Order: sequence, then C-alpha cells, then structure tokens
Amino acid sequence: MTRRALDETLDFLRSLDRTANVDEVSRLLMTELADFGIAHAMAGTVPQRGTPTRQQRGHVLVNTFPSEWGQRYLARGYAFHDPTVRQLGFSTTPFAWSDLGPRLAGDAAALRVMNEAGEFALRDGITVPLMTLDGNVAGFSLSGERLALDPADRPMLHLMATYAFGHLLRLRGRNAPVAAIKLAPREREALQWAAEGKTDWEIGEVMGISTHGVDFHLRSARTKLGTTNRTQAVAVALRRGLIH
Amino acid sequence: MIHLVTAANQYQYCEEMEQAWRLRHTVFVEEKGWSDLARPDGREIDQFDTSEAIHILAIEEGRVIGYSRLLPTTRPHLLSDVLPQLCEGELPRGHDTWEWTRQAVARSHRARGKAVNPVSLALLSGILEWGMANGVRRLVLQMPTLYLLHVVQLHFRARPLGLPQSISGEEIIAATAEFDERTLARLRSLRGDPRPVLAPSYPHLAA
Repeated sequence: MTRRALDETLDFLRSLDRTANVDEVSRLLMTELADFGIAHAMAGTVPQRGTPTRQQRGHVLVNTFPSEWGQRYLARGYAFHDPTVRQLGFSTTPFAWSDLGPRLAGDAAALRVMNEAGEFALRDGITVPLMTLDGNVAGFSLSGERLALDPADRPMLHLMATYAFGHLLRLRGRNAPVAAIKLAPREREALQWAAEGKTDWEIGEVMGISTHGVDFHLRSARTKLGTTNRTQAVAVALRRGLIH
Repeated sequence: MIHLVTAANQYQYCEEMEQAWRLRHTVFVEEKGWSDLARPDGREIDQFDTSEAIHILAIEEGRVIGYSRLLPTTRPHLLSDVLPQLCEGELPRGHDTWEWTRQAVARSHRARGKAVNPVSLALLSGILEWGMANGVRRLVLQMPTLYLLHVVQLHFRARPLGLPQSISGEEIIAATAEFDERTLARLRSLRGDPRPVLAPSYPHLAA
C-alpha cells in the first residue's frame, strides 16, 4: 500500500518536472487527484494582516478557484479570517477542513468564509502547511465538493503539495524577472549600440551625450538586468528581446 | 570558516572536537530532547562516530558554532541501522552517496525570522565543495517533512525514499538529495558570498 503510494508520488514528480507553467501544474494536480474528489488548488504564502488586496495577489502561487469566489476572497480579505489559513501557524502536518469544525463554533467571520466557500462547491478540503526558506508560513489547499480521502492518503498528498509548491516557486523565479525588467529608452539605446560593438565614446557621439552619460545609462541597465559587465548585459538583453 | 575533520587530521582539532561533542549534546539532548543520546559527560557521541565519519565544523574565533556529520553509505549509517523503516525500496548506497546527519547550530548563531540561518548555509556549502571535489553527488537525509521544501528551494534534486512517518511525535521523511554546481551557486547567492567556505587545506577522500 505505502509502496504503491510512493511509486505514485515518484511518477507525479517526474510529470511535475515536465510542467513549464502554473496552468500545467494545476492541470497535472487536478488530473492526479480527481479520484479523491479534489477539484481545486490554492497555494501561497500567508500575507500579514492588513496587506492590501493588490499585494495579497503576489502571495498566491496557484489559484484555480471559480473566479467569482477567488475575487471575493481577495477583495474581502478572507485570508485573514479563513480558519484553514489560521491553522497553518499551528500545524506541521496536513489537516482536513472537517478537523477544524469544533474550533469554528462562535467565530462568525471564520464560519462565513467556510459557508461561502461551500456555495462554490468548495465544501471539503485538505490543507498542507509549509514553510519557505525565508521563514514565511505557507499553505497548499486542495478542495472540492466532497473529498474521498483516507488519513493514510495524507502523507502522499503532503509530498505532492510540497513538491508542487517548490516547483511553482521556481517557475515564478524563472519567469518573474523577465516580465519585471523595463529599460528606459536611453538605457536601451546605449545597450543597443554596445551590442553593435561601439565604445562608450562612440555611443556618446551617436547619442549626443558625454562618455560619462553613456557609462551612467549602461550601468543602470546592468543593474536592472542583474548583470555584472557589458558583455553579460548585452547577452541577457538580447535573450530577453529587449534589444536586437 | 568551515573545517573538515577526519581520522587523518583529527589530531589537529582535539580542542574543537571536544566543543563539537558538547554542541551536539546541547542541541540534540538538551534542546531537542533526544534523551536516548544523553551522556553523563555531556559529550554526544554515538556508534557511528568512527574513523569513517567526517565531521564538518563551523569555527568562529576558535569557537565551534556549527556542526554536521557525513557518513559513508557503504558502511553502517543511520538509515541502514537505526531508521530503515523510512526507506521503502533499496537503500541508496555507493561511494558517491553520503548520509548527512546531526546538523546543529549554536543557539547564539541562529537567525531570527529566517528558516535557514547563515551558519547552516555555510556548513552545507562546505559539504558541497568537499563533495564536488571528491566525486560525491548525492546526500541521504532524514528530516522533518517540513524541511523538504527547503531542500527543493536550495536546488537539490530531492527524491523521497518513503512516505513521511511519525517518529516520536514528529513527521519524518528520508530522501536522497542530488546536487551539482547549480546547487552550490544557489547556496552562494543566498549567502551573498561567492567565495569557497572550506579552509584551504582539507583532507580529500583516499582514492
């Protein structure tokens, strides 16, 4: 039994290695876990109380909730009342949402979150508590209308969720800087001339600025690209299509 | 600076090894409460501290502030002799595979707010530097499942050897963790220091 669960986990890890973006990861999870009644995944680091909605989005690594529920959850700051999120600070092993029942009595805000989730066919779920290298509390929730989960299935889900989370963090690390880098027009122009093999003095002549000014723009471009010298800056900028 | 102590150079580290046994006792017996390791002389030494073991010491101004131990998987080690139930299939064994245990950092040097502190990162960097220079590419780990994400985040290729199991109240998993220069680069960037951590002369594995 455990041997089979381990083999299933290892198969899952092989498939996970081949996923290249969030959608592929969530599709893989939903396919693998459909038999458990799991229909949705939500994972991320826990935002500090009072974090604005826009920044809360940055904490989310994957969210396949129905969009109306996902938006309401963020807009109303439900992360701060959600009892499954609160439990992350106390548990180190996966817990079923149904385990939390007794703690909810008398907590109107928590009950509201859980009841409204139920209206979106997210009545049942299991949450895997995690902690990132930076020490941030995080969680991976797998949910559906009704789960068919045995406590013996939890260790496997624990592993799958841990790996999926790590993989999603890596995908984000790989993709985020690409989107984030934006060169100013003069930085881009100076770098374009540098790619043509021109010296600082020559670039200054073409752009009608001093050598000192050229150095300033190139230095700033290097910083934005996270590179240490001119050659590397040109290579990275080319690869990212910022110059050609 | 990180120092590697083996049977070959142990005579140069008598005082530091004394500190290391005591640090292990403080961390594992007194703090973590692993009472079966308790010793009246306050030096935590077990059956695996043989001439085969490699001790990794983080030393700051003569004081041992961090410790790790490597055991060859070709000899008896924790997974083979103490916790074999954590491994479902065949034990990972080989000259390229060493077991990493007894990771400890002095309380005074644990970073607050961060899950992994700089001394741990330095110890691990030392292990990898030694490993890459000696044809070792894989570590065997037994750890709380919560730390598995850290191993993945450090760009190890970690594979579970079994499902997580509850051992004295903690959920523990055994895993192999393959590493290469990317892992070392990741550690160095996290430490914010590209330089090697190992003291210049350290014993190599005999061929």
